Amino acid sequence: MSSDTENRALLPSGLHDLLPPRAAQEAATIRALTDAFTAIGYEQVKPPLVEFETTLTGAADNGGGSLAGQMFRLMDPASQRMMAVRADITLQVARIAETRLRDTPRPLRLSYAGEVLRVRGSQLRPERLFAQAGVELIGAADVSADVEVVVLAAEALAAAGIGGPTIDLNSPALVAHLLNDIGLDDGVVAQLRVALDHKDSGAVREVTRAHGVAFGSAARVLDELVNAAGTAEDILPKLRALDLPDAAAAEVDRLAAVVAGVRATGAALSLTVDPVEYRGFEYHTGVSFTVFAAGIRGELGRGGRYITAAGEAATGFSLYLDSIMRALPEPAAAQKLYLPFGSPAAEAVPLRADGWTTVAGLAPETDVQAEARRLGCSHCWHDGEILTLSDRGGDAPTEI
Amino acid sequence: MSQDDKLILALPKGRILAEMMPILQRAGIEPEAAFDDPKSRALRFTTSDPRLDLIRVRSFDVATFVAFGAAHFGVAGNDVVMEFDYPELYAPLDLEAGKCRLVVAAPEAVVAVDNPSEWSHVRVATKYPNLTQRHFAQRGVQAECIKLNGAIELAPMLGLCRRIVDLVSTGATLKSNGLVEIETITEVSSRLVVNRAALKTRATALGAWIERFQAAVEGGRDAA
Repeated sequence: MSSDTENRALLPSGLHDLLPPRAAQEAATIRALTDAFTAIGYEQVKPPLVEFETTLTGAADNGGGSLAGQMFRLMDPASQRMMAVRADITLQVARIAETRLRDTPRPLRLSYAGEVLRVRGSQLRPERLFAQAGVELIGAADVSADVEVVVLAAEALAAAGIGGPTIDLNSPALVAHLLNDIGLDDGVVAQLRVALDHKDSGAVREVTRAHGVAFGSAARVLDELVNAAGTAEDILPKLRALDLPDAAAAEVDRLAAVVAGVRATGAALSLTVDPVEYRGFEYHTGVSFTVFAAGIRGELGRGGRYITAAGEAATGFSLYLDSIMRALPEPAAAQKLYLPFGSPAAEAVPLRADGWTTVAGLAPETDVQAEARRLGCSHCWHDGEILTLSDRGGDAPTEI
Repeated sequence: MSQDDKLILALPKGRILAEMMPILQRAGIEPEAAFDDPKSRALRFTTSDPRLDLIRVRSFDVATFVAFGAAHFGVAGNDVVMEFDYPELYAPLDLEAGKCRLVVAAPEAVVAVDNPSEWSHVRVATKYPNLTQRHFAQRGVQAECIKLNGAIELAPMLGLCRRIVDLVSTGATLKSNGLVEIETITEVSSRLVVNRAALKTRATALGAWIERFQAAVEGGRDAA
């Protein structure tokens, strides 16, 4: 019996080899996404895979802290400083905007695509190495900016082959404003957050009942909020009807404005609203969103409004290629044309220009068609003509 | 009707299922005959609603099926929900069925001489290793959990460990095995659990089911 260390096929958990045709499909998907970003003026940047730990974790108040535990670290022998492998690209793009591109006119539209590495996968998302593609829109605080990124997320996915996604609009600041208004201690807030994250109305009621005096009328509001998740058209009127503090009511107005803006573009997507979604949005300050597709577990991406470390209003989103690849059908096998040994190279050039993938024989064949099939070719070049190969193996056809 | 349009409701086998049947009925779900047939080997069942199928699995597996989106919604105790702590699982409705408590228990002799404030490490037999570890970690105690799948009450008697964490409804099983409750970790009742992505992408259909279950629970309260 061979031990794990001897089996050369075994990879560390959460890391995979992508084989044909999936590897090509992922590359094509990333290209489709970044092309969609570029088409409306988002210019690509490419930060490095590894940078100093301090620049990746420094901006604790805008998300650096929450991923600090997810980064692999290594010592840079040259500078003797600690470096970290990025667990997310958003922060690097924000860093670029704040430093090297600080004098570039705003609003600044940047896009990126690249791989991130994380220390732990989750049970539903075991991948530890996966690609992200996304955009950041920096220096624009208007509703129109929120609308632009939401619609772009849907358009980019459509370009990659995923039509009609569901975009769940969230407002992490709404509950924060509501709770601030009450002035609870952190322990109770944490308890309430866990209950809200699971939409556990029973647990929410337990917390509000245990601290009944502090909550007052907010208890009923929370009760309504935890059950308020559904299509934008169903939920917005319910939120409007609630007795909310001014700051929270402003968040609802903002959500409504974004919904109206997105609808006005006629983009093909379903909009839902979930006012209590908070996980992963700890550093977001305004309208945020999560992208889902029917029948796919987990989320395809997420984004939203935040403030950069330099104090600029920004929004953006990241799409996760591992989830997107799960949502795409297995690609059709490529049509490949076998060029027998000795075919003149000049003959192949116009074929490739016509879109054929050519596979050249490197040694004389005894049976050209059998060799073509063995190499997975669907067609064969024969005396200046394209022969279609049957699916059957190399044996003579058997008649019934 | 294509398979993709169907919603799948995961139900737990056993005791809870019996308590759930009246709620299902009030929610307007009539399972096919094979569902009530103990001899049936089927695992998936149709209902009077062509857009809804039922599956019957172990209570712990309900949470897993729903969290991974293999079933769109299900019925699971909050003990199971807390044990797995799946981020993709919503528990929007307390069904007020299957009520019991999750408790720490130990033999009487142990309780008599024990001083919990001195603990730094305990060994516990349980079906809920994650929940148990979290519970003890909160008070600064490291819990070494021995995962058992049943007959937990035997463990202290045979010297496997001194404490257990288990579900208790009347307390009769504990008593007959010479164990006493030390503390309650949580009250337990069945919850309607819903897959997060399914609730977003099929908001209208699942929202309607949540409302029907809500009405069914309230109907049961009025009848009682």
